[in-house]
Amino acid sequence: MNSTPFNVGSRVVEDVAVIYPQGYLNNLAGEGLVAECGRYTQSGIRKIVVNFRETDLINSIGISLLLHIMEELQTAGGTLCFTDMSKVQLGIFEMLGLTKYFRFFPDENGALQFLNAAGE
Amino acid sequence: MELKKALFNISALADLGEEITSEKNFQDKLQSLLYVVMGTFLASKGAITCQEKSGEKIAFASRKGFEKLSLDDIDLGFVRAAGKNEPYRIANDPALMTAGVEIITPLWVRNEFIGTIMLSRKFTSEPYTPEDFEILRVIAHQIAITLNNRALFMNLTEQLNDNRKLYEEMRRIYHDTLQAFAAAIDAKDVYTRHHSQRVAKYSVAIARELGWNEHDVEGIYVAGFLHDVGKLVISNEILNKKTPFTKEEMEEMKKHSLLSYKIISHIKFPWKDVEKTVKHHHERPDGTGYPDALSQGDLSEGAKILALADSFDAMTSKRAYRDKMDLKGALAELSRCLNRQFDDKIMLAFCRVLDKEIRGELPKPNILPHLDKDSDLSVIPALLEGIISELSGDGRDV
Repeated sequence: MNSTPFNVGSRVVEDVAVIYPQGYLNNLAGEGLVAECGRYTQSGIRKIVVNFRETDLINSIGISLLLHIMEELQTAGGTLCFTDMSKVQLGIFEMLGLTKYFRFFPDENGALQFLNAAGE
Repeated sequence: MELKKALFNISALADLGEEITSEKNFQDKLQSLLYVVMGTFLASKGAITCQEKSGEKIAFASRKGFEKLSLDDIDLGFVRAAGKNEPYRIANDPALMTAGVEIITPLWVRNEFIGTIMLSRKFTSEPYTPEDFEILRVIAHQIAITLNNRALFMNLTEQLNDNRKLYEEMRRIYHDTLQAFAAAIDAKDVYTRHHSQRVAKYSVAIARELGWNEHDVEGIYVAGFLHDVGKLVISNEILNKKTPFTKEEMEEMKKHSLLSYKIISHIKFPWKDVEKTVKHHHERPDGTGYPDALSQGDLSEGAKILALADSFDAMTSKRAYRDKMDLKGALAELSRCLNRQFDDKIMLAFCRVLDKEIRGELPKPNILPHLDKDSDLSVIPALLEGIISELSGDGRDV
């Protein structure tokens, strides 16, 4: 088992970039997610939502890539939100003690509302 | 939670195994392995280094972060002196500490130092635990083996390339030696200048047309070059005689194929039957050839090819006692001597090659360039068509 093909889509909602990874976040193809986030950060966007609705698997490689995104955004003074994570995925983040460093929302709207309120 | 952590560690080891056995290129494989390690321990930065060939330095094989770290500044002696595949906290190396390296694991396979794994502090700022060290030790061992296998593979590849170069060099020397032999024959008999090269080329063209593999084609090329080497022993008076040979002179001349065989039979060729092909290039299907008067069934295909190529070049070249024949005349002569002197199958292949060369269907012609530039080729295609049709069984009643 390696992975289904990994793709990244995205859109901008006001001053928030919403990223849609598709497929397993378990190999080097996941660097596409880092690159997509980096592209928005470099263009000045400081609020990023990653919607995991279409991501079934995150392994140690995926964790490493997400930490990288978080560090870059922290350095830029931004905020990173994760939404639509499965219970299993959320459980991994809890077990690793990462929940206090990321913001988790059940869905995208919740994250966008939070970021809008935070920006006002 | 402990159980979940244990499961995560196990799955990280599974990730590691999957990456090690993956078919991706080595650089991507190392990058993936580094991500597995960093993700497992939540390290913000990480690097895998390899020992350079000199054995004195290490170099980055893969890294994420540590951009400011200069590996030249590291006390490598201390790293090597640490336990094999045993992670330890950096406490006394300013270069590593300044760059943010917190944990270093020297990679070893048996008694060979391979490189290191370097990790920064954890993203969570929590300390590395003894359990982390246990897992890292296992991971380090696997990565060390992966790096060592790669180094062994690279050494083998390098050795293979060296051997290939050596083989090519020896092959070049071999061919240069053959050319020197041919030049020696040419020097003795000005009328047969470049005859050996041409016979070699014609033979190659026929052999390829017959579907020989390239190894065997090279063998017939060598036989073509060497087929007349025995003439070095024949006296200049006979070789360059401008009048027909006497019976005794003819007998002397006939010795050259056996002499060629005796000279080259001391050489161990990488191709089969070169010496026999050379020995039998004046044998004939009707059993009247020399030196062994072999008949059709005893003649090798190589000997038959060489016989036709040799005769064709002799016919189309000037001799001390006669002018050269034009292509039409030579083809007519070859046809006339079919079955008695030349083999049908070889003649058919030869005509097909010639036909292809005239039609421009071969990227590099072998026969046409050596024919008289003033030859009228307009009648040749029809002539060849007739011979090919007859020999291939299409026109027996024509």
